[in-house]
Amino acid sequence: MNDINSIAVGFDGSDESELALRWAAHLAREVDANLTVLHAAGILERLGAPFSHEVTPQVVAAIMAEEGLDATRYHWVVEEGDACSALLHCAQAPHHAQLLVVGSRGHGKRPGMMIGSVSLELVQHASVPVVVVPGC
Amino acid sequence: MVLVVNELTDDSEHESPDHPERPGRVEAAMAAVQELHLGSDLIVAPAYSATRSELTRVHDAGYLDELGAFCYGGGGDIDQDTYATFDSWSIATRAAGAGLSVVRELQRRGEGVGFVASRPPGHHALRDRAMGFCLLNNVAVSAAALVSQGERVAIIDWDVHHGNGTQQIFWDEPHVLYVSMHQWPLFPGSGAAGEVGGRLALGSVVNVPLPAGATGDVMRRALDDVVAPVVDAFDPTWVLVSAGFDAHHLDPMADLCLSDGDFAQMSLAVSHYATAPGRLAFFLEGGYDLGALQASVRATLSSALGAPHDGEPPTNGGPGGAQLATITAQRDAALASWTQIFDEEDSR
Repeated sequence: MNDINSIAVGFDGSDESELALRWAAHLAREVDANLTVLHAAGILERLGAPFSHEVTPQVVAAIMAEEGLDATRYHWVVEEGDACSALLHCAQAPHHAQLLVVGSRGHGKRPGMMIGSVSLELVQHASVPVVVVPGC
Repeated sequence: MVLVVNELTDDSEHESPDHPERPGRVEAAMAAVQELHLGSDLIVAPAYSATRSELTRVHDAGYLDELGAFCYGGGGDIDQDTYATFDSWSIATRAAGAGLSVVRELQRRGEGVGFVASRPPGHHALRDRAMGFCLLNNVAVSAAALVSQGERVAIIDWDVHHGNGTQQIFWDEPHVLYVSMHQWPLFPGSGAAGEVGGRLALGSVVNVPLPAGATGDVMRRALDDVVAPVVDAFDPTWVLVSAGFDAHHLDPMADLCLSDGDFAQMSLAVSHYATAPGRLAFFLEGGYDLGALQASVRATLSSALGAPHDGEPPTNGGPGGAQLATITAQRDAALASWTQIFDEEDSR
């Protein structure tokens, strides 16, 4: 198996995605990989609170600092669109992620429901391994 | 001239009253219809829920099962933008059915212009997924029904967001021409000029991505110089318009700078695409500033009905003109392939 040099993680500001972000940061530090932190911006994003979580580079930087991942080892990417498509793109140029990481559920979804499940769709379509980090 | 609208059916309580995709949007659209004072020229098509067989032309059966179960299980957030309530399945199937009902009424009368004032909007809904406020793809359900009757359908989408769902559904369908003019980059991220349709229908998708700040003159040039030649070559028997009004300068969702006067002119342009009476229908997509929505719907419909526009003047001077040349070149390359597909089909 080849070494993992590049990891991408989805982050939407939810508790579950923060767990995924911390897990990915920890792994990136352990295997000395670069980390792409991807935020897929929806339609409501531009309206701000109360329609969307606060998802800013500062929030990510604080979490990265807590996880001990140097600022040179990660970069922050915002893409317009749905999270699944955006993460799938991370496996292609220029990111070439060899591993995709997501939380088990995003914003307020009910456990057990397949509809709207980024992790399920990602597993079905990804060309690289996917890690789904379970929630609390 | 007759205007056919669907019967207003959305009387549900909204669980997120501050959400921009709300029942007040339909009320604003219908207020615009009332302002036209059409009297007996206003025809109300009967309420109707799209059937499963009508929906499975464009949506996977498994997705429909799952969406129905999700709604009747109480609903909730589907993604960061999209939610469903207990009533959403009923409302969404009636929104999809409203388009079918309006189309049938136009077919029966053989004249008039249709307006489908339904919500939720539909053009982001994929074959197997809800997104961007959209649960079922209303315009696609009607277009697919027409294709099943042997029609050739041009869908003109002027919502400020790219209609990724409609594009996906008809990606390999040569009997549907899908044209989208939208702000880019913007949600949902798709809609680049290089997206021109699948292998089986190359050239049947035309995307006109425009930069933030673009004004109506660029939209009108796009319709006249980029889109009209493709529509002429496609020779549609029906024209359906995914009429979102969130490109209006007052709309909070995006950064295009159109006025209601621009919508009047765009409406006039697409009206000319329809080659026979009674074969043009507008489907409400986005539009979240209620005042701008009402004025823009009124401008669109009055113009389609041949009445003068008395609102805001058309806009000029924004960016985007330079992109049209590139888009035209890509369109010509795709059109050559697409014309070949139809020539081969016609010769069989």
